Amino acid sequence: MPGDTDTVRRRIDRARTTLTPAQMAVGLGLIAALGFTLLFVQDPLVHDGLHNIRHGAGVTCH
Amino acid sequence: MTTGYLERGALAGVVGGLAYGLFVALVANPFVAGLETFESGHGHAGEPAVSSLTTSLVSIGGGVLWGLLFGIVAFGIAYYFLEPVLPGDPVTRRLVLAGAGFLTVSGAPWLVLPPQPPGVEQSLASGARTAWYGGMMVAGAGVSVLAGVVYRRLAARRPAVRTAASLAPLCLLALPVVLTPANAVHGGVPAGLVVAFRWTVVFGQVVLWATLAGVHAWLADSTVQSAEAADFAVLND
Repeated sequence: MPGDTDTVRRRIDRARTTLTPAQMAVGLGLIAALGFTLLFVQDPLVHDGLHNIRHGAGVTCH
Repeated sequence: MTTGYLERGALAGVVGGLAYGLFVALVANPFVAGLETFESGHGHAGEPAVSSLTTSLVSIGGGVLWGLLFGIVAFGIAYYFLEPVLPGDPVTRRLVLAGAGFLTVSGAPWLVLPPQPPGVEQSLASGARTAWYGGMMVAGAGVSVLAGVVYRRLAARRPAVRTAASLAPLCLLALPVVLTPANAVHGGVPAGLVVAFRWTVVFGQVVLWATLAGVHAWLADSTVQSAEAADFAVLND
């Protein structure tokens, strides 16, 4: 389509061709690990250590 | 090319995270510690598992990672895919994405579960609250996407009409707010301090997202960006 120079579809295709599945898996794994640690780990050491940031960031806890 | 976007997102995340870590160190830590003096029966059984110094330091580190996470996910990944459909000039595009990020991560969930100071007991079980929080994150993301779709559909309309219509989907968030089960709260913190704490939390997150957007826009002014733009232009010929 003329004028349609850059689309979301094109970006997705571009990511598919430039990134290997292993790179994507590592990236998503790191993000999941980071999010999980900050939000869901209930181990007392981690949970209590992050107590202030959870309140400070307005994340519901107890 | 793709990794260039990732790097800029991560770099914005590092700067935003450091700024937010500073906010935690200077504002959130002492504020939370002060509010804990009002605590009578804390939700956790017994004493905390770690010292207050450890909590302060780990929370600062957590704040830095909090910013890094949003930098990577929102500006490293989401911005790469959404850049072609985000509206306005380069700075506006970042601010729109930051607004959507704030709405998704904090704004929408807070409509149901506003930030609470320590020591406040809530009647809704923590499992149910986590589910509502997660559900409202999905709702916030959904409303953001819907706003974007409406904006693109109304390309022929006057800018004011277009903007107002695009913001209309935000009203949909009132629906889950009405449907939430009652969550009675009680605690020893005076009401005025609860309000001050809530707005401090809101301010902290807004500043974090604004920092991410600002740093990301500033990074994009580098020559790397124009080389990449040329890259896409060549590809599309």
